[in-house]
Amino acid sequence: MADSIFRKLRDGGEEGELAPALTVEETVASPFALDVSCYLLANLSSSILAGKSKSEGLVLVTFSQSPSFYLQFLKQKGIFVSSSSKWIRVLDCYTDPLGWIDQPSPGVITEGSSLIKLHKCVSDLKRLFSSIIEAGREMVGDGKTRFSVAIDSVNELLRHSSMPLVSGLLTDLRSHAQVSSLFWSLNTDLHQEKVTNALEYISTMKANLEPFCPSSDGKRNALENLFLVHQDFGKGRFHIRFKLRKGRVRVMSEEYHVDQTGINFSPISSVETIIAATKSLIPKASYLVHFNLQLSEKERFEKEKVVLPFEHQDHGKSTEIYDGRRTLADGKTEATPLSSGELQADVVSSGKGGEIIYFRDSDDEHPDSDEDPDDDLDI
Amino acid sequence: MAAPNVRTSSFSRNISVVSSSPQIPGLKCGPNGTTFISTGIRDLDRILGGGYPLGSLVMVMEDPEAPHHMDLLRTFMSQGLVNNHPLLYASPSKDPRGFLGTLPNPGSSKEDKPTAPDLDQGESLRIAWQYRKYMENQKSSIDDYSNDFDMRKPLERQFLAGRPIDCVSLLDSSDLSVAQDHCATFLSKFPRLNSSNIASIGRIAIQSFCSPLCEYSDKESDMLSFIRLLKSMLMVSNAVAIVTFPPSMLSPSSSTRLQHMADTLLSIKAIPDGDKELEKLLTGYKDINGFLNIHKVARINTQVPVIPEAKTFSMSLKKRRFLALECLNQAPVDGSSGTSYGTSGSCSGSSKSGALDF
Repeated sequence: MADSIFRKLRDGGEEGELAPALTVEETVASPFALDVSCYLLANLSSSILAGKSKSEGLVLVTFSQSPSFYLQFLKQKGIFVSSSSKWIRVLDCYTDPLGWIDQPSPGVITEGSSLIKLHKCVSDLKRLFSSIIEAGREMVGDGKTRFSVAIDSVNELLRHSSMPLVSGLLTDLRSHAQVSSLFWSLNTDLHQEKVTNALEYISTMKANLEPFCPSSDGKRNALENLFLVHQDFGKGRFHIRFKLRKGRVRVMSEEYHVDQTGINFSPISSVETIIAATKSLIPKASYLVHFNLQLSEKERFEKEKVVLPFEHQDHGKSTEIYDGRRTLADGKTEATPLSSGELQADVVSSGKGGEIIYFRDSDDEHPDSDEDPDDDLDI
Repeated sequence: MAAPNVRTSSFSRNISVVSSSPQIPGLKCGPNGTTFISTGIRDLDRILGGGYPLGSLVMVMEDPEAPHHMDLLRTFMSQGLVNNHPLLYASPSKDPRGFLGTLPNPGSSKEDKPTAPDLDQGESLRIAWQYRKYMENQKSSIDDYSNDFDMRKPLERQFLAGRPIDCVSLLDSSDLSVAQDHCATFLSKFPRLNSSNIASIGRIAIQSFCSPLCEYSDKESDMLSFIRLLKSMLMVSNAVAIVTFPPSMLSPSSSTRLQHMADTLLSIKAIPDGDKELEKLLTGYKDINGFLNIHKVARINTQVPVIPEAKTFSMSLKKRRFLALECLNQAPVDGSSGTSYGTSGSCSGSSKSGALDF
């Protein structure tokens, strides 16, 4: 499942279409968006190096971690990045986003290697956009070759600029002809729901991390909860929603587990949650007309067992059905109500119970018999 | 007991199309002195009781995961162009005119071959005499009011060239004053002076009104007052406006207020792909592209509510070209859970089981 996101990002979009964009959402209870981003980064880098990806370069815009963290991480994964690497560029918005350290200058200062560019004015999104495109073009040239963009975290961007500007930037990146795919991460607890919804609106894929144990509902013992949280901290569910072309949504889930080496994904162990997610999408049954045309095995069995309210049951002896009135022949028939009572109890105890309650219309009615009443007709 | 005028069933005669002024095609007289214009989708016209009434505001709640609101807009705009109604289109994109290239063309009559032979074979079909005249009525009365649009073919040049189409980009200004001015000037051309004498009618289509790309998207009170103004201008003009908006972009109270302002409220819902449960539950699951919910139907000049036959419809493409809206059909249920008994009991009590009513 996480593979499928990676493949979508690797393959990019088609000509003339907006680039696929992924939002990775984390919460305070499951703050592993960084691990997911690193996972995607490592996979994208190795596919770019192997030449399997549509994009030939990667621009990494770092906000929440320093570039050296990422270079270190890639080295751990066996991908060595040197200053002469032509496939990656890093825009460093972590070190000095607001330009406090050096003399404030209107432009972007290129420091040291061309690999890492320091970007100073994070609040000016137009300039950020042009720096990203410039960095990309440095790698792949001006023609048709494309590059991917990874934005470390959108939280910091939203701190400095308003929502419309940030979504404008992301949509501009998506619509640029040379960007083949892009992804960013976000912590949903830091922003209003509107903001999260807006980012989901402009992305084509959404991934979110959900911890195993739900947040405390106040009823459980606080200590017990803490223990569970601690135990399950690195684990949870990873849900992905893809927006497909026809207008359908593909929902996938798997479990994730974070350890020293990074994040690992495994298929989901229990199926209940998937069904719960899709239940909300099924329109309510009251709008549907349904007819139950078939009986299941169980129902068929129950049906067989039901005692029909005919006194003549075709098994040789007559059955007395309780008719709500005590008849004169009460004493004699005390034995049989017991047996029919047993029968009824049998039916009731064996399940939902098929019980037919029959009240005889009048005392004049004779119990059913084998004789055909038409027999005495003389024709 | 439903409003007999507006409820249509297979036995009700289609109201004649003679419009009050023959120069204006695409108008249909409805009950209570209203005049309808076509939505562009025949099924939707039937569901809403004739179409969109003049002077109403239609709002469509988008689902961020599905693009079907665009189909509603496209058919609406194409229908207007085919019927030569002036059009105003606003969208949060840098080049709204580009959208006009995606408008569908009316499907040609040659495509309707399967239906024509049915009438010819009327003799062999032995339709009772009083129903045959309804069938003939149906065929002839729909042609210039609404069309079946072929979603794959782009609109022909003859419908686009020389037509009064005004395109506004909502990204242009940081507030809604530009859009407001455009709407006001557009609507001033269609004043409603006399209900029996309609000089001309107009159509307004606004797409993704609260899109996060627009600079005014965090100014909710501005957006609400724009819609309120639009609605008040519509009430005194012969025009229909359709506005689509993603409700999750607004705070819940603003979203509710916008929904309340609508005369006709529709919403789109995406359908999950590859869902085994849903596949078992619905027939035709593979063809369904999404769901359309009808929340409110316009009632003008009347107290009687319009009760649609169902609230949820599935949107699909027939022959991969023509938009169709259908009631949801549930596949026969595996009754082991026993819930079908419970719900079928409630069905007889609720008014929503319109399909069973006679």
